[in-house]
Amino acid sequence: MTRGLLGLLLLFVFPVFSQEFSNAEKNAVLRHGPWPAPWSPDHSNRASGNPGAIELGERLFFEPRLSPSGKVLCATCHAPFRGWQDARPRAFGLAEADRNTPSVLNVRYARWFGWDGAGDSLWAQSIRPILEPREMGGSLAAVAALVRTDPGLSCRVARVFGAVPQTEEGIVVALAKALAAFQETLVTGRTPFDDFRDALARGDGQAMKAYPEAALRGLRIFVGKGNCSACHAGPAFSNGEFHDTGVPFFVSGGGVDAGRHGGIKKLLASEFSLLGRFNEDRDGKSALKTRHVSLEHRNFGEFKVPSLRNVALTAPYMHNGSLATLADVVRHYSELSVDRLHADGEKLLLKPLRLTAQESADLVAFLESLTESKSVLPPPRAPDPACAK
Amino acid sequence: MEKRRGAFRRPAAGLIGALAGLACLTPAAPACELPAGRRLESGRLALSYRTVPASIVVGEPFEVLFALCPKDGFKPGRIKLDATMPEHRHGMNYLPSLAPTAAGYRSEGWIFHMPGRWEIVFEVGGERLADSVSIE
Repeated sequence: MTRGLLGLLLLFVFPVFSQEFSNAEKNAVLRHGPWPAPWSPDHSNRASGNPGAIELGERLFFEPRLSPSGKVLCATCHAPFRGWQDARPRAFGLAEADRNTPSVLNVRYARWFGWDGAGDSLWAQSIRPILEPREMGGSLAAVAALVRTDPGLSCRVARVFGAVPQTEEGIVVALAKALAAFQETLVTGRTPFDDFRDALARGDGQAMKAYPEAALRGLRIFVGKGNCSACHAGPAFSNGEFHDTGVPFFVSGGGVDAGRHGGIKKLLASEFSLLGRFNEDRDGKSALKTRHVSLEHRNFGEFKVPSLRNVALTAPYMHNGSLATLADVVRHYSELSVDRLHADGEKLLLKPLRLTAQESADLVAFLESLTESKSVLPPPRAPDPACAK
Repeated sequence: MEKRRGAFRRPAAGLIGALAGLACLTPAAPACELPAGRRLESGRLALSYRTVPASIVVGEPFEVLFALCPKDGFKPGRIKLDATMPEHRHGMNYLPSLAPTAAGYRSEGWIFHMPGRWEIVFEVGGERLADSVSIE
């Protein structure tokens, strides 16, 4: 009798959350933090973390002259007020492209860049849209001429890199490294999920109660029945790699988007990859992934696993922007057509979740809880007084 | 965080005793000492390996350091390393490299990109030694 009363008492005294989570669930939740995650500067880029480079990179991010049209800037597609993306299904610079614009928030944590991972560094990836005809439509020669003829730009490049590089390629790489230094500062703030996760870590039942119940139920699906965290792993909610999730990869005009398969081919053919002469990492460790990446048939139609932080602010979704809302994304995985998966491994991993309406709504509530409570964007930087505006 | 399980079962205690007795009657072979690490063994060779860092984390690169002790004149020949997720029927997205060191071999380029059970496979001159590693 006494034992029974004690059991009842414990049931009410102990926080409900600690009883709901098994040790495995708790560990799975804890692995999605802490946030912000630790980060160290990019050794392949001497401008990484350099205040002068960050200021130059911010200028370049909003510089329309990088496009010969004078009408398209990085911020055209990566608009700060739209979660650093464009809210369109597919990017539109000078013309419509084939893929959705990913946000550049938290991009500093990525291993590969772009939906196909054709970039192995943030600076190499920053060159691609400048030269892409459908995006900014620039050229190495035009960008180099801009720097050489603009005293303010050439002064800033020289201040960061010691001198304006001699070659067109060198100038474009310098600008791209400054652009990367700026983008590395764009990190999402803490979210209701982070507060819950940290409270769970320290066993603070009272603080855990602030987390919405629907989000909590959705979290359990995310790390449990849904197995979402198998790919959306770690503090950034991405394992940084590539998967086929059954999203059609046909593009307008009748072609197909080869995804990761094409990305690896582009990567290995690029003079701007980490295997090339522009990598400033002296011990070569930054290029390990590029040296060892393996081109496999199964890479065809695979696309990068996106981070889920601030995901509620970055609709539409998937590599081609084909799903308009988070509810659509959850429905996609709930009703997944395994016939669309071309790799045996993905068929074993991805199965239709068959979620109830309540479960689907809970999973959406969890995804919405990954939205930052307050933006932590860095304060505006003062221009370098040594250089003209 | 990972849990490991070797693919080769330990011989029964009686068999070990019998083999130990046999070893006393045969001339001593040159010693081949394996460094500390996970030990895998077949009839033709023994192998020990360790990862650097010791704990494998999803999505983080690591190295594999290993050494071999061939048995009874077995010639290792070609050595190949890889890893697979048997339940998922896929491997890594990377091809590990292999280089000799003073103590054995170093293999770089390893990334386990998903949690679950991985199998680290050493193919040494036709011998296949595997170790099971569970990554959370």
